[in-house]
Amino acid sequence: MANKAFGIITSAGGNFHVEGLHDYRPIGAFSFLGRYRVIDFPISNMSNSDIDQIQVYVSSRPRSIAEHIGTGRHYNINSKRGKLQLLFTQISNPNSIYNNNIAGFLENYEIIERMHLPYVVIAPSYMVYKQDYGKLLDTHMDSGADITLLYHRVNDARDAFIGCSVLNLNKQKGVLSITPNMGTSKEKNIFMDTYIMSKELFLDLVKQARMLSSVYTLADIVSAKASELDVRGIAHKGVFAAISSLNDYYNANLDLLDRDKADDLFRSNWPIYTRTTNACPTKYFDTADVKKSMIANGCVIEGVVENSIIGRDVRIRKGAVIKNSIVLAYAEVGEGVRIENTVVDKWAKIKNVKEIVGDPTHPDYVKRSDNI
Amino acid sequence: MGSDMLAMILAGGRGSRLHELTNRVAKPAVYYGGKYRIIDFPLSNCANSGIDVVGVLTQYESVQLNSYVAAGTRWGLDTKNSGVFVLTPREKADSGLDVYRGTADAISQNIDFIDSYDPEYLLVLSGDHIYKMNYDKMLEFHKQHNADATIAVIGVPMKEASRFGIMNTDGNGRIVEFEEKPKKPKSNLASMGIYIFNWKLMRKMLIKDMKDPESSHDFGKDFIPVMLNEGRTLCAWEFKGYWKDVGTIDSLWEANMDLLDDKNQLNLNDPTWRIYTEDAAVLPQYIGPEAKIKRAYITQGVEVEGSVTNSVLFTNARVGAGAKVIDSVLMPGVVVEDGATVTRALVADNVRIGKGAVVGKKNSENILLVAEDVKGKEG
Repeated sequence: MANKAFGIITSAGGNFHVEGLHDYRPIGAFSFLGRYRVIDFPISNMSNSDIDQIQVYVSSRPRSIAEHIGTGRHYNINSKRGKLQLLFTQISNPNSIYNNNIAGFLENYEIIERMHLPYVVIAPSYMVYKQDYGKLLDTHMDSGADITLLYHRVNDARDAFIGCSVLNLNKQKGVLSITPNMGTSKEKNIFMDTYIMSKELFLDLVKQARMLSSVYTLADIVSAKASELDVRGIAHKGVFAAISSLNDYYNANLDLLDRDKADDLFRSNWPIYTRTTNACPTKYFDTADVKKSMIANGCVIEGVVENSIIGRDVRIRKGAVIKNSIVLAYAEVGEGVRIENTVVDKWAKIKNVKEIVGDPTHPDYVKRSDNI
Repeated sequence: MGSDMLAMILAGGRGSRLHELTNRVAKPAVYYGGKYRIIDFPLSNCANSGIDVVGVLTQYESVQLNSYVAAGTRWGLDTKNSGVFVLTPREKADSGLDVYRGTADAISQNIDFIDSYDPEYLLVLSGDHIYKMNYDKMLEFHKQHNADATIAVIGVPMKEASRFGIMNTDGNGRIVEFEEKPKKPKSNLASMGIYIFNWKLMRKMLIKDMKDPESSHDFGKDFIPVMLNEGRTLCAWEFKGYWKDVGTIDSLWEANMDLLDDKNQLNLNDPTWRIYTEDAAVLPQYIGPEAKIKRAYITQGVEVEGSVTNSVLFTNARVGAGAKVIDSVLMPGVVVEDGATVTRALVADNVRIGKGAVVGKKNSENILLVAEDVKGKEG
């Protein structure tokens, strides 16, 4: 594997917008389960699959991603043989229709051309799943297909995965087209934005896409070429989440409080790597009462936490109650404050308002560094 | 540009008072505080004090300690010209293979290593204390006082002073007398086993000490008294803050329990003075729907389904449903199976306490060390 494929990690297109959180960072940099960032999943998948040449494309606000992935040492990528590159597009407006992944690939065309490996694995930075790309590449090569795409069969496409794409397949799992999920029916084959093909074909498609339309994405050109090329879909099994809205983000986190799901995603032979912050362990006081929750390190817990995810270095004071919520790093929940069905962003302090209770089907959001 | 001071950590022998905990690892590699090892403290202190090169002196080859400190990246000791080195006795061209005959001899035998960095000052540390110290402040004091050697001291209760090496000083911080475990102590300033020496002078004196047949080549017994007799300037630098010797099972347990104390002085989450350690690719701590946790210090990778009271849980420790952990320390990878009870115990890494087993007693005089798996109750 190490000498067959390089990796490309793409960022979410302009059609995605996650309320609140997205104002401060790209989805790949969102905190996940209190300890990770979403982009840790694709990078760890690649690292664990022995892909050690990885290009990460960032379309806007690169700071948090650049800071988090650094040299890639913490992803177990060889410091001499391996390489983790951050690549940018010059179009700074994230909502511009011209700011699509093809634009990013074209701007870095020569860098891709210089990769000496014959295959490319492309995965998104805004989806959470576990996948051995080595196995996928073997399947791809054995099948003789031109392009292999990964999809997940879901039964909630009416409410979730809005903005994601759908693979329309024939009975032999041949891809007929790739279309947007408009929420028209529950059961859909959600495209996981994950591709395997030869480097040559990839570069050819990038050029062709631009000739046909300057707003085409990689998915658009693959869909347009589906009748000429042998494009096949492979079904992914296991935990899968697309962070395409605040609801999806919220549910993706809280769903993993189910031990069976967490055990499926996190295996000891498939570590998910992240950058350490050297936070000390978490301190639970006499008054603490914590149930069915994931707690990161560095917290001080004096209050009640139930069915929630608490990020690093969070302080939960006496009499505070947190239920069905996600509290991100360095936030503080003051004495007697009640928080339910809410996402609290980093560095927020909630002291003076004593109750923030969101709708269970649509969580509230507390801004980063806000004082409430 | 780093410091002109090089550090040597006296990591000692097997640490036999820690019993089975040191069967497989050298004492400095013993776990502490949920996610750390003892040696993380002097190494992080060095890194935070701007010291670039640290030698770790051990009498015995220790594969685990060696591979642990070799990754200097963990403490940020990874810039060019910096690093952490384990130095065991080795054969040299002009002498055979000798064990380290004493703490001073351990330094003497590595003069060539120290010379290769050409330091102005040498910092000598012991490897079995938990504390946070800025060695650079101590060096500043050393320079201001034009000292030949500076010894860090800490005030201990007068009642306990006879257990320590006591420094008697004049009004200006100059040491006039050193008494090892005095019956009638004249002061309560105990040596912390932390020394700064001017390397040029120290080097000369070490060569003399090596050849002295009367010497036991120990800092406290030989080297410091000789310096005092020669009328050298030795100063005492008083340290204020948390400092704990973790040389025995009871004291190691106590030092862990100190982290639960609301008035605990050892802040492990000070952003300006982090304690660095090895990183584990594990989940955040998972607390189950039936769990009860009161007064606990818990790190990532831990899973709690049962109840935990007044205890410290290390990386990947697991407490099963209906299990109880009271006044105890569970080292990395310990599994307390469903319905088991652990009281006043220090459970060594990767030990499994079987279903329904009962380990330890509430009012035991000493802390129970559990170093082997405990079978569950049948049925």
